[in-house]
Amino acid sequence: MKGKLRSIYENKYKPLLIIPFLLLILAVAQISYQYAATGDFVNRGVTLKGGSTITITEVGAINHQQLQSLLNEKFPLADISVRTLSSAGKVAAIAVDSDAQEEEIDVLVNTIKTEFNLQETDYSVEVMGSSLGRSFFKQTLTALLVAFLLMGLVVLIYFRTLVPSLAVILAAFSDIVVTLAVFNLTGIKLSTAGIAAFLMLIGYSVDTDILLSTRVLKRNDGTIMERIYGAMKTGLTMSLTTLSAIVVSLFFVQSDIIKQIMVILFIGLLVDLVMTYIQNVGILRLYLERKTKRR
Amino acid sequence: MKKLMKDIFLNWRVIILLVFLLFALISIQPHFFGNEGVTIRSVAVNSSAARAGIQNPSPTSSPLAKEKIISFNGEKISSVGDYYSLSDNLKINRTVTIETSENIYSLYTKENEEGNVDLGLKVYDTPVSNLRKGLDLEGGTRVLLKPVDKISEEDLESTIGSLRERLNVYGLSDIVVRAASDLSGENFILIEIAGVTEGEIKELLAKQGKFEAKVGNETVFLGGEKDITYVCRSADCSGINPQVGCSAHPEGVACGFFFSITLSPEAAQRQAEATGKLAVVSEDGGSYLSEDLILFLDDVEVDRLKIGSSLKGSATTDIQISGSGIGATQEQALTSSLQNMKKLQTIMITGSLPVKLEIVKLDTISPSLGKEFLDNIALVGFLAMAVVLTVVSLRYREAKIIVPMALTLLSEVILILGFAALVGWNLDLAAIAGIILVVGTGVDHLIIITDETVNGEVVTDWKKKIKNAMFIVMGAYLTTLAGMTPLLWAGAGLLKGFALTTIAGISFGVLIARPAYAAVIEKLLKE
Repeated sequence: MKGKLRSIYENKYKPLLIIPFLLLILAVAQISYQYAATGDFVNRGVTLKGGSTITITEVGAINHQQLQSLLNEKFPLADISVRTLSSAGKVAAIAVDSDAQEEEIDVLVNTIKTEFNLQETDYSVEVMGSSLGRSFFKQTLTALLVAFLLMGLVVLIYFRTLVPSLAVILAAFSDIVVTLAVFNLTGIKLSTAGIAAFLMLIGYSVDTDILLSTRVLKRNDGTIMERIYGAMKTGLTMSLTTLSAIVVSLFFVQSDIIKQIMVILFIGLLVDLVMTYIQNVGILRLYLERKTKRR
Repeated sequence: MKKLMKDIFLNWRVIILLVFLLFALISIQPHFFGNEGVTIRSVAVNSSAARAGIQNPSPTSSPLAKEKIISFNGEKISSVGDYYSLSDNLKINRTVTIETSENIYSLYTKENEEGNVDLGLKVYDTPVSNLRKGLDLEGGTRVLLKPVDKISEEDLESTIGSLRERLNVYGLSDIVVRAASDLSGENFILIEIAGVTEGEIKELLAKQGKFEAKVGNETVFLGGEKDITYVCRSADCSGINPQVGCSAHPEGVACGFFFSITLSPEAAQRQAEATGKLAVVSEDGGSYLSEDLILFLDDVEVDRLKIGSSLKGSATTDIQISGSGIGATQEQALTSSLQNMKKLQTIMITGSLPVKLEIVKLDTISPSLGKEFLDNIALVGFLAMAVVLTVVSLRYREAKIIVPMALTLLSEVILILGFAALVGWNLDLAAIAGIILVVGTGVDHLIIITDETVNGEVVTDWKKKIKNAMFIVMGAYLTTLAGMTPLLWAGAGLLKGFALTTIAGISFGVLIARPAYAAVIEKLLKE
């Protein structure tokens, strides 16, 4: 079994290239569908759209479903959703997301406060103006784009050969797009921290690609396949350490912000395995094959 | 063994890392066994504490340098609970002795508006290091304000000055007020106040910043351009008063300042009417009018000036405002005098804010949530580190690799925290996300270095091995750097903390800690 997989991986690298590109196409389809259905290619949360979040930390006897129906009853016109934040399997806080701003938020807060007899220190409130939310979204996207271009430039200058550099850039691009599509499917709403996570992902995803390309292109020991396996051994150790740290954090961390960063990095690092060891490896091997033929 | 240790600790890369670590620890100054007393967060204006001479802490002083209350009526204070249980049971018109890290004060208790005894002090548990906790972790309120209309840089600056002044008048000193802008050139004002609830800050911002000057009960002029047409801020008509200069004072040295203002004819007329009725009294060798000119900001008295007898009943439009500042040394007195002058000038110029501001973002974080976050993050950080070390242990099964790796990662965290303490950053959740990223790339890079050197090419030349490893690490570093840089400017600077922590942390890692790791494992594994 292991031998068979190995032989497929070593010999059928051209047909295998279909997998990453298929993933990329499916991801683009998902994102287009999301855009067509909601008018937005990602589900934007309060920090990127405007609105407010009330986080109740003294949960006590409050039940989040009861709270949801209570609020729906009192504010039938408002868009309110109640969710729980858990850490180590226990509910640590209840968050109320709504489109309420300015004066409306005070009404909402006071309703919850009197209903459950809360003190001022038992909850946190975050209010984001909608125009600021929109401009935040636009700007962080611009930042993401600029970051990506700068990264591409660095890679080009670093390797000074077109095809391998483009392969690294394509791997990072595919990683971001596929991760975004998978993230959309989870139904979580994207916050500013989430965009920061995508920026982190550029860094993490390019690490393994640079390692791979350097080993394959700039070393002379062993065959190409041996060098690829060497890079893979190092790269997999890297991904494994990061992924295991992320899984632990996902389970225990209480902060919404950090949890979202972890979710995105988790998806991204898994996708990166495909993009690095199938897509990038495949393109590098095709490139080296052509190069030797031409000689 | 001894020679090996000597080799390691005399390697220049290791020495550089150790020196930086030492600096980091000096700037963090961790107090591992807790710290004494409670720290003063703010002193309310005209409160018992302020009258006894307790000063508001300066917002720029480092957390450990702030004044701490050590004992209260002879009883040792070791927590916020201790302090409030004593201060809440005070009776009116008694003397309370408070010993702080700087001085011993006698406070005379009085009632506040609600009929309770209030000393006017807000305190918090004394920090155990010089790290500043951001709002997310400490609890407090963050407001992002946007001018309704486009305003000039100058107006923005004076608005910020005026807001800061106003918040100071209310005894809130643990505040950040700064300008922020975003990629599309929009201006914002960011205010962060620790330990204040949303209601309080909204109330403060809703106030107009009304400045009034009264003689007796009559208002003679208001702040702003209508009554005060000109406030001199140039050297020829403002500064330290040459005629008064500095003189000895019970608390050290007092220095006098002066500046001139020009009133509108109407305001001058009102002043003439108000002063005309007053008697002339002699005091300290000078002759003054029987009532003072009292300056109010939002109905709170901020200053009281004597009126020279020559001004009685005259409708002069040019008035000289004078006052003084007190300090332990002449230099301190001069600084404090000039500060007081600037404060008064700001109040007079911007009696009300030059622009209308709207709140575009308002966050309140409950202090208990902040505390929970911090404990939780410490737990998660510890667990994540343990898991990472387990994975690398399984892979390498060699203490000579694992121990240096763990120490390198730990020193990277210390370097970031040391830098944060040194430059006075607030550590918030975004900064912690940055630290996670740094440690994450740290592990990755250490694995690259290890594999390149230990399992890498069959060359015996360690220099070349390390060079190979650092080539990959540098490439990864430069791309991450490229990814973070644009965030420095996006989104009104709210993600700046994240970007800065990451950039600083990764730079320390790649330039200082990770090369030292390479040097150490080279020495350990060379044979």
